[in-house]
Amino acid sequence: MGFKISVDTGGTFTDVVVSDARGELTIGKALTTPARIFDGMRGAIASAAEQRGISFADLLAGTDLLIYGTTRATNAIVTKRVAKTAFLTTSGFPDTLVLKEGGKFRPHDFSRDYPEPYIPRRHVFEIDERVNAQGAVLRALDHAQARRSLERVRDQGFEAVAVCLLWSILNPAHEEALGTLIEEVLPGVPYSLSSRLIPIMREYRRASATAIDASLKPLMQQHLRELELDLAAAGYRGNIFVCTAAGGCNSIAALVERPIFTIGSGPALAPVAGITYSRMEGLGENVIVCDTGGTTFDVGVIRDGALTFNRDTWLGPRYTGDLLGIAAVDMRSIGAGGGSIAWIDDGGLMHVGPQSAGAEPGPACYGRGGTLPTLSDAAAVLGYFDPDYFLGGRMTLDVAAARTAMQDVAARLGLSIAETAWRILTLAGDLMMRAIADVTINEGINPRESTIVAGGGAAGLNIMLIAKELGCDHVVLPKTAAALSAAGMQYADIVAEEVGSFYSLSDRFDFARVNALLDALEARVLEMRGKLPDQTGEIELEFFGEARYQAQVWELDTPFPDTKLPSRRFRSQSDLDAYVANFHDLHERIFAVKDPGSAVETVSWKVRLTVKLEAPPTLHHALASGEAPVVSGHRDCFFGGSAAVRTPIYKSSGLRPGHLVQGPGIIEEPNTTLVVYPGMSAQVSSAGHYRLNIQ
Amino acid sequence: MTTPTVDGDFDPYMTAILANRIDGIIREMTNTLLRAARSGVINSARDFSCSICTGGNELLASAEGLPIHIFGSHMQARTMTENAGASLREGDCYLHNDPYSGNSHAGDHTFLVPVFIDGEHLFTTVAKAHQADIGNALPTTYMAGARDQYEEGALIFPAVRIQSDYRMVDDVVRMCRARIRVPDQWYGDFLAGIGSARIGERRLKELCAKYGKPVIKAFMRHWMRYAEQRMLAAIKTLPAVTLTNTGAHDPFGSLLPDGIPLRASVAIDPEQGYIDVDLRDNPDNVACGFNQSEACARASVMAGIFNSIDADVPRNSGSFSRIRIHIRQGSVCGGPVFPSSCSLATTNVSDRMVNIVQASFAQIGDGWGLAEGGVGMGAGCAVVSGGDPRLGGAAFVNQLFLTNSGGPASARADGWVTYGLPVAAGLMYRDSVEIDELKHPIEVSHLRLVPDTAGAGRFRGAPSMEVGYIARCPRMEVIWPCDGTHFPAAGARGGLAGACAEHRLVRADGAVEPLPNIVVLTLSEGEKVEGRHASGGGYGRPSERDPARVLHDVLEGWESPQRARDVYCVALTGSVEAGDLSVDLAQTQRLRAAVTV
Repeated sequence: MGFKISVDTGGTFTDVVVSDARGELTIGKALTTPARIFDGMRGAIASAAEQRGISFADLLAGTDLLIYGTTRATNAIVTKRVAKTAFLTTSGFPDTLVLKEGGKFRPHDFSRDYPEPYIPRRHVFEIDERVNAQGAVLRALDHAQARRSLERVRDQGFEAVAVCLLWSILNPAHEEALGTLIEEVLPGVPYSLSSRLIPIMREYRRASATAIDASLKPLMQQHLRELELDLAAAGYRGNIFVCTAAGGCNSIAALVERPIFTIGSGPALAPVAGITYSRMEGLGENVIVCDTGGTTFDVGVIRDGALTFNRDTWLGPRYTGDLLGIAAVDMRSIGAGGGSIAWIDDGGLMHVGPQSAGAEPGPACYGRGGTLPTLSDAAAVLGYFDPDYFLGGRMTLDVAAARTAMQDVAARLGLSIAETAWRILTLAGDLMMRAIADVTINEGINPRESTIVAGGGAAGLNIMLIAKELGCDHVVLPKTAAALSAAGMQYADIVAEEVGSFYSLSDRFDFARVNALLDALEARVLEMRGKLPDQTGEIELEFFGEARYQAQVWELDTPFPDTKLPSRRFRSQSDLDAYVANFHDLHERIFAVKDPGSAVETVSWKVRLTVKLEAPPTLHHALASGEAPVVSGHRDCFFGGSAAVRTPIYKSSGLRPGHLVQGPGIIEEPNTTLVVYPGMSAQVSSAGHYRLNIQ
Repeated sequence: MTTPTVDGDFDPYMTAILANRIDGIIREMTNTLLRAARSGVINSARDFSCSICTGGNELLASAEGLPIHIFGSHMQARTMTENAGASLREGDCYLHNDPYSGNSHAGDHTFLVPVFIDGEHLFTTVAKAHQADIGNALPTTYMAGARDQYEEGALIFPAVRIQSDYRMVDDVVRMCRARIRVPDQWYGDFLAGIGSARIGERRLKELCAKYGKPVIKAFMRHWMRYAEQRMLAAIKTLPAVTLTNTGAHDPFGSLLPDGIPLRASVAIDPEQGYIDVDLRDNPDNVACGFNQSEACARASVMAGIFNSIDADVPRNSGSFSRIRIHIRQGSVCGGPVFPSSCSLATTNVSDRMVNIVQASFAQIGDGWGLAEGGVGMGAGCAVVSGGDPRLGGAAFVNQLFLTNSGGPASARADGWVTYGLPVAAGLMYRDSVEIDELKHPIEVSHLRLVPDTAGAGRFRGAPSMEVGYIARCPRMEVIWPCDGTHFPAAGARGGLAGACAEHRLVRADGAVEPLPNIVVLTLSEGEKVEGRHASGGGYGRPSERDPARVLHDVLEGWESPQRARDVYCVALTGSVEAGDLSVDLAQTQRLRAAVTV
């Protein structure tokens, strides 16, 4: 096996991780180049090649597998550059995309207009047809009317078509017929059918997903094909896989068909890094993954070795943005990061964020004109950064500007600059702690029984304080912390899912129809596998039901996991009993109650196919014995007290596996800084990661 | 710019940390209730609220709860402590739905858990959820026609102990099961409510263990004081003025041929930092379900004021202490005399009162206050019940939330489309058509926004929504207590009123019969009801509306070219279909110049 390259093109930076057959990992970084993604990718790969002492061309030529995570689709939506898309829906229900599912924040705020729908109302076409809640045709599809509508779609120059009819999940015949008509009337215009893309109940979720998917098709098709050509022109001969929101990757051909799955696909791979590193360190199957960036703090959980999924992911704000609808890896985001601004309100209360100084002007200490105090400024004031060697020497920090920015808040608090900075740091940490609590405690997970894997440029500043607050003893800051998602891609498998909707009550279970649906779903994922380029890895098939108690229709504020089928088919009552028992156990674990007397209803069924890709082997180094880590210098740092503490500084180049850094201490990595607080310690593991000891 | 806090020991940092924790606890309570509940009215529509009171029966925090729900929970906590006296113990849980001792209306079941720290009653956790059924005489929690509370027929729980030593008092459960329709659905909601209050209890105990009682007690004092300071700062931005505004609830058959005229007088004293709201000059109790409970009267006034000031002021007893509400015993506005019925206390008169108060602020001048929001829970929010033939005739009862009334325009924005009602302020969720067809034997024929219905203005109200559905069972009871079919949502500062609601019955043979605002109806298989909800009022003169907004409204089908010209005085050229619709600025200026000011 040659090299494996993973690429995470974020909004600002393109992160690359290159692994070789021995398991050596190299990080490369470059600025993202939105005009032509390949330019930034080339820069980041070249940077990794340089560290390895080979040429860009040799590295690419020696690579078998490239995995690509992209924010292309997200950016297209945010900048409103998606295709002009027609939305076809059941006559009488034109406003599904306007009305969404209701709800808002801030009940007393009347200063904002209601949001525009994802597809303008004038691009909605009502089709005469209706299927009922039993899947029976109430009103046959009026082909002539549908054809006339599609001719208008053609004449008005639409570039894509989204189709979502009521109850198409139970009877897709009308959607299928419209698909055929689209191919006839608008040959070559891409379209998406809700019953194929996302056969789940609730028309808004399906409509929103289908509209987003269709609107991305022309663009993503072009983008992925272009990238393929660019890589080929640069001499790349291996396979390309694209990351998906399902926490794996898939072929370009598969994602051109369902581009919605590329949204959020970069962050979706961070949990894969989390579980990989937790296992590597022997720390178990329950993991909390945190990624602290400049403006957001993202957190996700892995439970019993499995990623968690959520159908309630919004593009933009909850309620007023656009719902993705697909089951995406559950990474929650709050507005807290290195750029978060500290302020005092008119009642005297202190806040950090959600406002952020962003990349421009950035924190005051960046010296680019920022004047408001941020979390990064607090860290600079507390002495945690080497002002002359920030980000491996790529930037010089203006600590005086950071202190000046903090004066107003300090005066309002009546505290010194250093004490103020400490409160900014810990209040931001408290908000992050709460975000973790929301995805763990709220869902019946005890954070004390989980391992925290922390990544992102700003993670090392306060992760140990956050872990202490949560009572977590097992914390890992991986060597690849600064490129956590790209690192996760190194360990990703090919994942494909097919979902089908069939409402089934456990006390009047239709064995034959459920099994027939499972047959069809399994056939579809296996067909997908047949189209993958030369993959011989082992495969796994998993079967799930989306279940709940009868009449329990929760809104998915937090995800309730799918219930796993104990067997591939329901051959007998005992298979059904075992499935229902799985559901009761799950409900009790999450809600602390179960109701064994109640029937269980399942609304949809899912088959997940996993095709294993070869992951880089874990490289264990011999542990250093006897010798102490090299102290590269000392700085005055503050850890909550009013007096400075003379603190040893360590450079990563002076640390070897087995070395123990006793707090207080600062460890400077090229792309991140780890603060080891007094009374805590950090040890380099045999795999080269930092194991953080909180006690 | 800033108001210094009075307490010398106020810690801006620790108060922020603990407020963050309390907010997290309420979020966890909310989440527990939302996801464990069974009835659509709770888990789909989010018609519930969680809050935390102090041991001294003040409201400490309420997160994102419905305005009409949360302002009264401290009154219920007080009833609990007064009734239980020295017998109040750790492990207790109380059920409260009595509108005469602090609850909103009987349809809201409230679960109260006293939280003891080292033997001291330091908090009460409160989870309030609107029920699908409470055992009323008719299958609805809104008994518009009930002469009094006896005729409503619900079981009333004036803070009744339902758990002792963390164990269920099964007698109460048996009483409820014997009276409430679809008892399994009720029991699921009941367990969810208790679970929510208990989660709050557990987390508050952990919080106290972590920080120690003295720190927590100081926080409670500081948080109240902080909210009061924020309210004080908000009031100080207002002029010294007394605003008087009137409105009216719709007529109700022969019982209330003229409706219920309503009035509120709002006296603002920025010097002292108080707002006094006088509701005493209102009619006597009415012999039907429209009387406001005290909690709802206070809540509706508070909501109207919060809508008109800085939207970030925390909602707790600290901020409330700056608003003094004057109520007359015997008045329809918050002074019910037993056994007057308060069955519709959370909506009808309360919706009107929110409107009257928020619109009164518009009298201050341009930029202040709001127009009125659409009112009335019509066909799209009916309580439906019957037997489902697809499930062997199994009983169902539930409130639909298919359509909403349109929101009011403000001085800065158009109305919120999924507003719902003034008392809900857009917080509630909407039902999915597919879920409603799955859960009830109905077939929805249409659901859409209606062009040209918005209250016009410089900023316009949100338009009406309309819906129709057909019964697909032999007999389906359909009950709704609508308002807004006679008196629309008024505009403010030259803005026009919204459209009224209207309803009709379509027989299986196609014959159409108009329906009144308040409906108790039995549909046969194939019969359909159709309803159009009220829209929101506009703010400012329509002829002052930005022509670019008018153009967008026409492009998007919110308004017709005709209305653009006749009402907004905007002339357009080109067409939507051809993609060249644009504003004729010269002609628009001529049209607007002709409008007499």
